[in-house]
Amino acid sequence: MKDLKHLIYFEGLLENANNPLIEQARAEGKLAVGYTCFHMPEVLLNLDNCFSVRLRAPNTGSMDIATYYMSNYTCEFCRALLERSFEGGFNFLDALAGVDACAEMNRCMENIELQNLIPNEKFFVTHADIPYKVEDFTIAHYVRQIKNRVLSRLNEVYGVDISDESIRKAVNEHNEVCRIITEIGNLRKQPNPPITGYEFHVLNMVTYCCPKYLILDKLKETLTEIKKRKPDAKPWYRARVALVGSEVDDLGFTKLIEDSGALIVADRFCFGSTPGREEIILNDDEDALTQVCRHYLEVSECPRFMSNEKISQRRETADRLAREYGAEGIIFEQIKFCDFWAFERALASHVQEAEYGHPVLSIDRPYNARSSGQLRTRMQAFVESLEIKRIQKGGGSPQC
Amino acid sequence: MLKNNLKWAKKNIPQDLKIWKELISEVDWKDVGKKLKKDFEATKERITDEVKTVAAMSGSERVDLLVNGEKHLGRLYQSGKIAFTRREWKGVEGTARDFVGWLKIWGAMSAMVMKDPISIAEGLFEYRWFSSYLALPAFADRNNLGLRGPHVTMANELFLPVFRYGADMIATLLMADERLGNNPKIREKLLLFDEMTMSQMMAGFPNLEGIPYQLMPVFLVSEIDQLICIPYIDAVESFGLPSDTCPVPTSECGAAIMDALPHCGLGFISTSTPCDGSDMATSYQDRRFKMPTYPLTLPVRYDDEDTVDCGAEDMKRCIKWVEDLTGEKWDWDHYFEVIRRFNEQTNYEMHKWEINKTPYPQVIGPAYELFRKWSYEMDGGLYPSTHKTFKKIDKMMDRAYEKRMQPYRAPIRHRAIVWSCPAHYYANFSNWLQNCWGIGVLVEMESLNFTKMLNTDDKEEAIRDLARLYERMVMRKHTNGGHVHVLEELWKQVEEFNVDIVIMYQHVCCKTMSGLQGLFDEQARERGIHLIWVEHDLMDPRTVSRRDMRSKINNYMVNVFQEEPLDPSLVEFEDDVTW
Repeated sequence: MKDLKHLIYFEGLLENANNPLIEQARAEGKLAVGYTCFHMPEVLLNLDNCFSVRLRAPNTGSMDIATYYMSNYTCEFCRALLERSFEGGFNFLDALAGVDACAEMNRCMENIELQNLIPNEKFFVTHADIPYKVEDFTIAHYVRQIKNRVLSRLNEVYGVDISDESIRKAVNEHNEVCRIITEIGNLRKQPNPPITGYEFHVLNMVTYCCPKYLILDKLKETLTEIKKRKPDAKPWYRARVALVGSEVDDLGFTKLIEDSGALIVADRFCFGSTPGREEIILNDDEDALTQVCRHYLEVSECPRFMSNEKISQRRETADRLAREYGAEGIIFEQIKFCDFWAFERALASHVQEAEYGHPVLSIDRPYNARSSGQLRTRMQAFVESLEIKRIQKGGGSPQC
Repeated sequence: MLKNNLKWAKKNIPQDLKIWKELISEVDWKDVGKKLKKDFEATKERITDEVKTVAAMSGSERVDLLVNGEKHLGRLYQSGKIAFTRREWKGVEGTARDFVGWLKIWGAMSAMVMKDPISIAEGLFEYRWFSSYLALPAFADRNNLGLRGPHVTMANELFLPVFRYGADMIATLLMADERLGNNPKIREKLLLFDEMTMSQMMAGFPNLEGIPYQLMPVFLVSEIDQLICIPYIDAVESFGLPSDTCPVPTSECGAAIMDALPHCGLGFISTSTPCDGSDMATSYQDRRFKMPTYPLTLPVRYDDEDTVDCGAEDMKRCIKWVEDLTGEKWDWDHYFEVIRRFNEQTNYEMHKWEINKTPYPQVIGPAYELFRKWSYEMDGGLYPSTHKTFKKIDKMMDRAYEKRMQPYRAPIRHRAIVWSCPAHYYANFSNWLQNCWGIGVLVEMESLNFTKMLNTDDKEEAIRDLARLYERMVMRKHTNGGHVHVLEELWKQVEEFNVDIVIMYQHVCCKTMSGLQGLFDEQARERGIHLIWVEHDLMDPRTVSRRDMRSKINNYMVNVFQEEPLDPSLVEFEDDVTW
């Protein structure tokens, strides 16, 4: 396939947490609000003159200082963020909107807060309490928390407009990005998709990590380009897979999977598009904040939710995506030392195989996976096993 | 019921006998003979050595031995054996007191057996964990090492209600188990809840029997037998769970996978407390338990009063769920009666802390630690007999304090506090600290729980208080809800208890605590406090053995404090398989 016109530009934006678009937005007087978790409604961090930045630490090397503060038994994502904070990589932040959903990330943010690692005078860290199940009273609780701990703080400290009107405006802008990403993502359902999983990961991640208004034009142009793009007659990949699991902001990881011969057709991981890039449909009968909060709780696929219906939802979503996108197998991944995904991966991968009939590769991985020969070998073996299964079923080329 | 017992016997005895027969036929009797001979010689050598030691003593030393008991406890351990060589000689008074306690423990165990001898006997063969409870007297011995005088009685009195409760729970579970007793009268009133939540909600349902489901097969037994959770952990890890998760939920999941929990119960209340791992165990357990489940999920940021509404509403819905499931109605009168008792017990507890803050601490050691956790979370004021124990201990403690008595034979050289989650497989670590190095553990993190007097007259506020209490269950009170509960709280307690050493447990799989490791280190240094890190893996002694835990202390005491041990026989010994 012909290279995408803006791919190198987008990749460049992901080389650093503090990319040129963030600098541009700040120069225009905008406020950068960092966050790390889907439980923090992204759209609410884009009110008025704020823009959201989902934090990541690309090109992480040594994590010695963070390891001293958080031990080597904790999630590398959290440690990488703390290390990057020590390095000054997040000095552009005006606020950090945290959720006390995962203990490790909470501790990471507490370290950032207690050690005053972000030098901005008005910078603050907030920790919202997040429910474990979705019911009327937990939604009300979530709304209260987001209002009191996030929106009110933004309003008090920076005078951000947090009115219903402001929320509705932010939702409209958010939805525009979601529609583009969803449209691009749906092209992966085609027998021979005009986009790779890696490219999609780049595009989607840009929407999480950059001020949205500054990337919209290029995203639209890319959508048009992909629609017209002609895939190679003979697919480059040997098998189609769905990637399910914990946060993946490492482009090297998706590249590693695709270099092993697997096309990622569905992304059900934190920093992915499911959930995250669904449109938020608002009505006029209820306040926008409640509707937004309900939306995030309902579409969330976080394993932290422990009620039966949410456990079933996670299993059904993985199954549905695999079927809708024609994945021949599922890769369940988990970042090392993540308690939630450790438990979820072990059981869900078993359930998908035993009860839904999907071939599954279950792996744990470091934050930066690109140099892992062991992972590459496992991916290659999985791809081979999928090919063998196809041959046994009498199938031919991978798009069948 | 008997019919069910017979069914079990018919199904299991023939195959068990076959296994036993095979095992016996494979025994190398010559090897057994050699081992017995070796053991006999080792015993002979030990006795000879002890006789020689006594013979070499001066008259006053012999009187001291007779009155105050022995000083070298390391000789009680024998390499490669699960039990002690013999029981500790605590002097005439101490040993007599200990013997009374020992008899009472056997009494509690016998009472359990008498409830339904057949089901209990069958349970011994059905459940691996049950046989470990036979080591209960040895557990008490191990945890009372070094105590003297009335402190021996206090320790045994603290153990006794815990043991009686445990015996009751085991008997109830086995009698209700559909594979064993299958007793319909018990089954129809049995409500199960996660061991990682509180029990006070049961106060509103006096006609129901509430059982923390995994407590007996997993949690409590892991304190009695250090090796018992290994098969559970291996089972779930072979299923694909990484080995870095907390051994509590890991073992709970393993027990569920291995079908190690009795089949009974009308329903199960699962919980999000104390932490992420416990939350995640729910999906595994739910898959195996196959009974109606209510997920009771309490807010984490519990200091924020805005969160109380959510917790209270969840409590109300859980109560409603229990009512619908069982047909029982919430009984406010009984609830308030129990909570009044619980409040009084909180006052007794705070009195213990006050005494331990003085230069003459009294109720310290493993018995206190276990009793405190159990009474706060599992007894919760529900059992009037426990209240008598509180009163009795309070009186004994005051008397001992007035006499300025010291609890252990060895004097307290350092005042210490234990922070973070303790190792289950080394329940008596605090009395080793005292006996070997004179490090008196005055209080531990998990004892310092919620002290608010719970509301006992306003129904709405009472439910809100119940939610507040549940949010602050034993471990969660400190490890969750923000650094202030564990970091700043430690320095506050260090000051109040006037300690010079913090035994800082580093539970290697506890990410909540690990996340603050560097800040603990730095802030301790700034304050000039000796913070000794002791790694452990909670329920898996293969990761960090008891011996490894001790070596951390030994190294610090020798190299930093440059002190000599009070009991050199306890510095280095092997107890890798000891109960």
